[in-house]
Formats: sequence, structure tokens, C-alpha cells
Amino acid sequence: MASEDEISLLVIVVDVNPIWWGQQGQRQPEFTLSKCLDAVMVMANSHLVMTRTNKLAIIAIFIIWSFIFFSHFFDSRDEPSLGSSDGKYELLSVANDLIAEEIKNLMARTQVKGHQTDTLLAGSLAKSLCCILKKCLAGQDMKSRILVIKAAEDCALQYMNFMNVIFAAQKQNVLIDACVLDSDSGLLQQACDITGGLYLKIPQKIALAQYLLWVFLPDADQRSQLVLPPPVHVDYRAACFCHRNLIEIGYVCSVCLSIFCNFSPICTTCETAFKIPLPQMIKPKKKKLKAAN
Amino acid sequence: MAALSEEVLLVVKKVRQRKQDGTLYLMTERIAWGPEGKDRFTVSHLYADIRCQKISPEGKAKIQLQLVLHTGESTTFHFANESTAMKDRDAAKDLLQQLLPKFKKKANKELEEKNRMLQEDPVLFQLYKDLVVSQVISAEEFWANRLKLSSTDHFSSNNNKQEVGISAAFLADIRPQTDGCNGLRYNLTTDIIESIFRTYPAVKQKYAENVPHNLTEKDFWTRFFQSHYFHRDRINTGLQDLFSECAKQDEKGLKSMVVQGVKNPMVDLLYGNSLHIACPSTSNSSKTVKENSNSAIIKRFNHHSAMVLAAGLRKMDTSSDQASETSSTDGNSRDSDTFQPPIKKVKLQEAIEYEDFQNETGPKTIALKLKKFDRYSHGPVPLQSHHYSTSQDIISSVSCIQEEMSCYKPCLTQVMSSSAASSAITALSPGGALMQTGAHQTVSQLVPVDIQSELKHLYTAAGELLRHFWSCFPVNTPFLEEKVVKMQSNLERFQSTKLHPFQGKIQREYLSSNLISHLEEMIQAAYNKFHAWQMRRMMKKT
Repeated sequence: MASEDEISLLVIVVDVNPIWWGQQGQRQPEFTLSKCLDAVMVMANSHLVMTRTNKLAIIAIFIIWSFIFFSHFFDSRDEPSLGSSDGKYELLSVANDLIAEEIKNLMARTQVKGHQTDTLLAGSLAKSLCCILKKCLAGQDMKSRILVIKAAEDCALQYMNFMNVIFAAQKQNVLIDACVLDSDSGLLQQACDITGGLYLKIPQKIALAQYLLWVFLPDADQRSQLVLPPPVHVDYRAACFCHRNLIEIGYVCSVCLSIFCNFSPICTTCETAFKIPLPQMIKPKKKKLKAAN
Repeated sequence: MAALSEEVLLVVKKVRQRKQDGTLYLMTERIAWGPEGKDRFTVSHLYADIRCQKISPEGKAKIQLQLVLHTGESTTFHFANESTAMKDRDAAKDLLQQLLPKFKKKANKELEEKNRMLQEDPVLFQLYKDLVVSQVISAEEFWANRLKLSSTDHFSSNNNKQEVGISAAFLADIRPQTDGCNGLRYNLTTDIIESIFRTYPAVKQKYAENVPHNLTEKDFWTRFFQSHYFHRDRINTGLQDLFSECAKQDEKGLKSMVVQGVKNPMVDLLYGNSLHIACPSTSNSSKTVKENSNSAIIKRFNHHSAMVLAAGLRKMDTSSDQASETSSTDGNSRDSDTFQPPIKKVKLQEAIEYEDFQNETGPKTIALKLKKFDRYSHGPVPLQSHHYSTSQDIISSVSCIQEEMSCYKPCLTQVMSSSAASSAITALSPGGALMQTGAHQTVSQLVPVDIQSELKHLYTAAGELLRHFWSCFPVNTPFLEEKVVKMQSNLERFQSTKLHPFQGKIQREYLSSNLISHLEEMIQAAYNKFHAWQMRRMMKKT
């Protein structure tokens, strides 16, 4: 049992890429963004209710182009400004109303700019870490974790930023869990493996709430007591610099550390020349002609 | 009785051991004692077993010699011959003193070293148990590689032992005590004697000349302390004193040191004539008696300090330069002129320059020039073909979602149907669709811990044997040939005595996985290599 003084902070990062969700709404009308947000709200409410004392949940939603994030801390100690209309615990009704309102505002403000359809995963994770750190520095001893609900595909351009964020999270002892709706994400698999979180790709989107409550609601200490899906085998193979193929054995330039799948005498990144010593040719021994007597 | 081949070095009669009369025999490799009238030895100790010997102090009535063994037990011999007991005991003691060191170091250092290594490293201990105790390989082979390393360390540390310095106050430390009846007792230890010899080589010379033919050690030192050489007022009383020559030598030495001057220009007060020190004019004959004695003492002090310093420097010099043996003992040694300029320069440089303040002239480095940075930032995510969305698609999706969200109201009571929830639960339960990969990872949980540790020991032992085996290739020398054959037989023995019983044990416990398959592969690879080598050898011979 968690002690009375322990604060557990859950940050839920929901991918609300409007393009993906719009297409999803057309593909599968029974599971739309509204349903997804409902499930997320259920999860958030459950987390707040799990332990009476001081569990905070913050939801950050990220979207491309406008770089608008929505984040809010929900603390049981805050005085609720609004009463609840249906007798619900005030904190929950405040949370739900706030989330719904913000999402509506966010969507209303969205404008199409350009062709990019990627979600800013790295940026939003970084923002979450900053919020966590801010709360930590406020003097409270906290255990925090981030739950990422991902809809769209990975963006290869964010790789470096993403890896930096992952290592920063590892240093801060922040777990990153991932719940992936559509296609497997190698980046998130790595993030979960490195920080010690759980990665799950959901077969049925409509049962999202069930998966969230079953797998992602318990915190790190409680997870060791439960039987949860086993960790995924992560493909840590490097990609060669020339073709971007994933290779197991390759050639590494000793000057710039770039990886190649084939040997080439000049490294294309740093232009250093290399020579592989060939095996020595064994000279055939000259037979001495015996002088005739 | 003693073996015929043993040479008896000393026989002492009338030695009692445990209140029985008998005879003590000292032989080349052991010391033995037999009771009176009997033929055989009741007590026999090899010199290698003796740790140290002790003698009873001088004043005691019983004259005894005690031998303490390495095992801790001790044997005491009482020399009971009325007239010659002391001499006998001393003779025995001296002989033992010479013999013991020869045998001491050889046997036990090795055993101690081995025991220490086994105790410090439990893995090594386990390996030893597995391989040597169960007779897969012999103890010599086991220690062959390991002891080599430790013995070389030992030797190098011995050579670098530092020299013990001489305390400047060693003469004062002797601290004579009054004997009660107008005599003085001087306690001399070997350290003090050594210091005296090193500082005053003249005394050492006298000692070598006179002891032990003319004087005993005790007499020599008594004379030394009685002589005026030692005492304050060095008035040369006459030629009977042994040490009057020493006094004259010292005077000469002191004068030559003064003449030679100071080598290090940094501490030379007279350098460059910047200081004029009032030198006592030797021509002035009107000296008071008090001045005389004062100057004598000051001269003695200076000489003593100079000798101590010279002794310290001498040690350093002799160790580095054999040729300086020619240096005489009073310090007027080498030709100082040829050495002066470089020393001065070196000393000056040392004084002015500090390493830390020098300019950094590190190794020249070449800057890294990269042509294509973006390759690093692209991760191992392979370039997949995107779903390319046309701008029309984008716009329509966005408008669709905006429409949806504008009328969004959270409806938390109808988030999902119960059927969907229960199917999700089934998938997450053990054995469900999402839990499949878990089964593979529990081999470490299936196999009990003791079998796991035994497997680990087997791996360590097999690794050790295989390492010896593979290090023999390429087989160049006949020694390696023998070793290869020996290792092959060792591997076979290991397989039959250790691996097969282990496998049998596992099978009896119904563990399905074949835990030793990898070990067998490794050993099979070694066998194949051995057979191939054997074939090649036979073909070469024919």
C-alpha cells in the first residue's frame, strides 16, 4: 500500500492529431476522438480517486502546427470553484469539464497550415517533463509517470529530440508508458524499455478504457505484484547511414562513428580514407636447381 | 635413526627435553633429539617447518632453546651440561640461525600464497574444488598459470624496498642508564649498530679488523663507548686507544669537506662573494680554553651531521652508479668542477619554473570535419512510405474533426459496451492473446536455483579447461603437443565425470530443456579440432 505521504503524479499525453482522427472518424465511426477522450477521462478520474491524498493528474494534449498544449494540474487540495451538477466528487467534475472545454477550444483554433501531418511527440514529452520537474522542485517528493496514448505514426525527424527526452526521463526516474492505437512505434518501444514502463498495442480500440484501467492504472510498485503483458522485444538494431537498413553487423568509421553496411574505402561522412590490409601473398618458393656434378 | 645420507652438523650431549636426558643432533635438513640410550629419535623437525627459535634470557638458571613451528606448537630443549651448557646452547642457536633462513622462504611462501588466493576468490576456490579435488586435472597444472603472476609481483616488490634512513640522533638515542654501582649500561640494538657503521665507516673498519679475533663484540662496543672518540672531549690520549686513528681520520675528512665546498649553488652561502662570513682566523693563538672546547664540540656536531648526510647520499649514489665506489668515505669524493654548471642550471630551473604554469602544448589535434550531419539525427526508423495525404484530405479531415468536437460532451457512463470490455479482459488474462510471449521467459524460473548454480560451476570449470586447450594452438613445440594431448584427455574425463552425471540428474527431475547442450557443443568443437590436428600430424609423418 502506498504510504499516506506519497504523491503519485500521472501525466497523460493524448495524441489529438486532427488529420488522423478525422480519417479515423471516417474509417470507423464507432470509435472517434470523443470516445477516446471519454476513455481518457475515465482513466484520469480513476487515478484521482485511487488514493485520497494528493494524487495529481495532468493531461497534456499536443497538436502540430499551432503548437498548442493544454496542461493543467489537478490537485485534491484545490478548492473547487464550480459546484458539481450531478453529485459527483467535485474534483472529478471540475477535471472533466475543464478537459472538454479545452479540447473544444483547441479544435476550434486549429487551422490548416502546410502539408505536415506529424504529431509533436518529442515536444510534448519534453513539456510534460518540465511540468513534472516544476512540481518536484516545489519541494514535494513525487513519483511520476507519463502515459502516452498514441494514434498517428512515428515521425522520423524527431528521433534525436525524442532520444534526448527519453534519457532525461530516465535520469529523472520518470516512467514512460505507451498505449498505441494504430501502428507500432519503435520510438515508444525504446522509450518504455529504457525508462521501465509498459508498451501495449491495443487490438480493439473500442475497449480502450478497459485496457487503460487494467494495464496502466497501477503504478510502478503495484505492477510487480500483478500479472501484466510481458515486455515487448525491442529491436535495437542500428540503421546504416547509406540505405537506412537495419543491420546487425556492419562497418563503423573510427573517426566519425558512422555506420555502413558495406565497406567503402572512403567514409562519406568525414571523408577519411581507409585501407584494409590484404592477407600476405605467399611467394612460391623457388626451387634451387641442384648443380649437376 | 638418522638416514645414512644425512650429514650431522652438530651433536650436543646432555640436552633434556620434557625432563628426559638425551642428545640433540643438528643435520643438514632437520633437527632431531633422541633420548639417552635409545637408538631412535623421538623428536624430529625439518628446518622448513620451524618458524623461529627462542632462547632463554641471559640471567636465568635454566639454559633453554625453544623451537616454534609453523603449526604453532613448540619444543623446548634444556641444555643441562654443567660446564658447557651456555656454549652448547649458543653453538646450537648460531647454527640454527644460519640454517633456518635457507629453508624458511622456499616452502611456505608458496603455500601461504596459494591459501590466500583460494580464500580471497570464491570462484577460484570453487574451480579448484571442481577440477583438482575431483581429479580432473592435477594441482600443478592448476597452479601453473596462476602462481607465475604472483611470484613476479613478489620479486619486483622486493627489489624496490626502500632503504632505511639514518636518524640523526641515533647516538643520543642510546640513552645510557646507570647501573646502580657507578657504571653505565648502554643498550645497543642492531639498528643502532647499523647506523653507526653507515655513518662512520672508520668504525666499521675497526670492527671488521678486530672482531672476532681480538675482541668480542661486547668488548669492542665497551671500548667504543669508553673511548674518548665517543665522548665529548676528544683529547687524544694516546695510541692505546683503538679509536684514536678514527679521530685523526675524522679531522682530515672534515677539513677536506670544508675545502671542497658546497655543490649546490642554491645553498652555498659563499657563492659569488655576496656574503662575507667572518672566518675564525686560525693564526690567532690567544684562544681561551672555553672557546677551544666549544669549537671542538661544534666541530664534532658539524662532522656528525655531515657524515649522516653523506651516508644517506652514498646509498643513493652506489645504487645508481657502480663506478662511484672509488669515493672515499669522508666526502672528498668526486671531481666537483666538471659537475658544477649543469647542476646549477638544473637547480635554477627547478626553482623558477612550475609545470602547471607552462603553456599548454598538448598533442596536436585535427578537427573533425563532417560533411553530412543529418545522418546522425535520423534514427533507426526506416524510411517508410508515408501515407501521403493530399491537401484535400487534410482539409476534409480537419473540418470533420472540428465538427465533431464542437458538439462534444463527455458521456462517461457509456464509454464502452460490456462485451468489448470482457473481450479485452480475456485478452489480458494469462494465456490470452496479449500474454503469449511470457511463457518463453521463464526458463530461469523453471530450473531450481541449486541446479542453476551447479550449471554455473560446470561452465566455469569447462571454460578453464577449454581455455588451456585452445591456448595450445598453434602447436609449435613438443611441450605444447604433450599439453594438447593431456588437455584432450582432461576434457574427456571432465565430460564423463561431471557432465553426464549432471545430465542424468536433470533428466531424473523431468526438466525438459537440455541445459548442457551448449557445453557439449563447445567440447565437441574442441574434440573436432583435436582430431583434425591429429590427422594432419599423422599425414605429415607419413
